Amino acid sequence: MGGFGECSCDHCEEVMQPYLDRELTPEEHAEAEAHLAGCAYCGKRYRFEAELRVYVKTACREEMSPELKAKLVALRLPEA
Amino acid sequence: MAETERESEPRELAAEARNRVRFEEEALELADQVYRVARRLVSSREEAEDLVQEAYSRAFRSWQSYTPGTNMRAWLLRILTNLNIDRGRRLQRQPEPQPLEEGDYFLYNRMEQATGGGTDVERIDDRLSQDDIVGALSAVPHDFRDVIVLVDIGDFTYADAAQILDIPIGTVMSRLHRGRRILKRELAEKVGEP
Repeated sequence: MGGFGECSCDHCEEVMQPYLDRELTPEEHAEAEAHLAGCAYCGKRYRFEAELRVYVKTACREEMSPELKAKLVALRLPEA
Repeated sequence: MAETERESEPRELAAEARNRVRFEEEALELADQVYRVARRLVSSREEAEDLVQEAYSRAFRSWQSYTPGTNMRAWLLRILTNLNIDRGRRLQRQPEPQPLEEGDYFLYNRMEQATGGGTDVERIDDRLSQDDIVGALSAVPHDFRDVIVLVDIGDFTYADAAQILDIPIGTVMSRLHRGRRILKRELAEKVGEP
């Protein structure tokens, strides 16, 4: 009931976020792994989600300018 | 005034100055990471630069309210997100996000359709450019975007994000889940574009 029996991909979809965020209990995690090992449908979607997160992080990365860094250094309080 | 009290004063001042310098150096070392998060909380580079400067200016002035040994990056981001929220976000009320029917597999299924199935859907960068991603993230409403930016870009834990935004951890989880779905819906629209 609600577990990862055969054909429980709806449940699998529900636990994808907590699984990837490492928020499942060890038992739930093991259950999810067991299901993923035997289910190509969910396996592909989990891999995709994991890669999407990496891609979002990489694509959104923008470094601060050296000018801003210098401005921050200049904001330090004067020596007492 | 007792003689000893007068003597100990300069020593205390020197110790305080050293602590302050140490604080400032540690805060400056975190500036790159703070900026990366700030950049995605707002829509332009200029806004991000102003916000980071304002946050550092405030942090340097109120350095004594930082508890040594605690997470300074989270402390700095808390100042920054508060400033960002104070800066008129309340004026521009966000429209309620539309009801969301799509599940977590939505984007994958959409890409599979777009590629006619079979092909390698996992190669996300073939289908979505860096600009698509940045554009989709900036289209996510603020409350949801803040959480995605802190957790997925800033690598903060749920607990840190909850503390930074001053919301319950359950709210972090639900906004994160909902926010990622909104992000995927935005991306799915871009997959459909020529």
